[in-house]
Amino acid sequence: MAYLAQLVGLVEELVEAVTVIPPTDRKKTLACRESALRGIRHHSYLRTNQFEVDDQLKGLEERFRVIGRDPLADAFSQRLDALEGHRNKYTPDVLRFLLELSDQPAQNTKLGD
Amino acid sequence: MPAPDDRTEKQQAAQQAVDILHEISTLLNCHLDRRTLSICISMIENGVNPEALAAVVKELRKEGQIDAAAAAAAASTTARRR
Repeated sequence: MAYLAQLVGLVEELVEAVTVIPPTDRKKTLACRESALRGIRHHSYLRTNQFEVDDQLKGLEERFRVIGRDPLADAFSQRLDALEGHRNKYTPDVLRFLLELSDQPAQNTKLGD
Repeated sequence: MPAPDDRTEKQQAAQQAVDILHEISTLLNCHLDRRTLSICISMIENGVNPEALAAVVKELRKEGQIDAAAAAAAASTTARRR
């Protein structure tokens, strides 16, 4: 029960951070919260395979180099190396999450950002 | 109970990890701000599946875009009436 309450709190924060629904639109906020909770609790995704995630990250770095974006590849590799010192059991999951949300980094990432 | 110094060190380490992950998310062009990323990391640490969470974030973004478009349309209709 405590777990669910904590999860509901985090989902509410997520809805507020990602959408631009005005706080007065309580109905819409509740609908988003319920739909997000459903998506999180009832899904058919497998557990993260950390080796697969590592392979994907290496592949991405290689891709950056192949298309001539060496500075991006270097920056990416540096951050991954820095993360090694802070690795815990959730790190592969977080990286999997970031890979899922990545949006054509080879074409669209601007290093100045 | 951990000593206060221990806690501060752990908090700093966690902070640094979030900083690095935010930089990685920027390099991957994930369109995540630091606050959203921190919430998502907390959710993953609470056992939420990362792929399911990513799907939820994408869905919420779509909802947000629909809402923003509706708000813009309503604003332009009001402006035209005046």
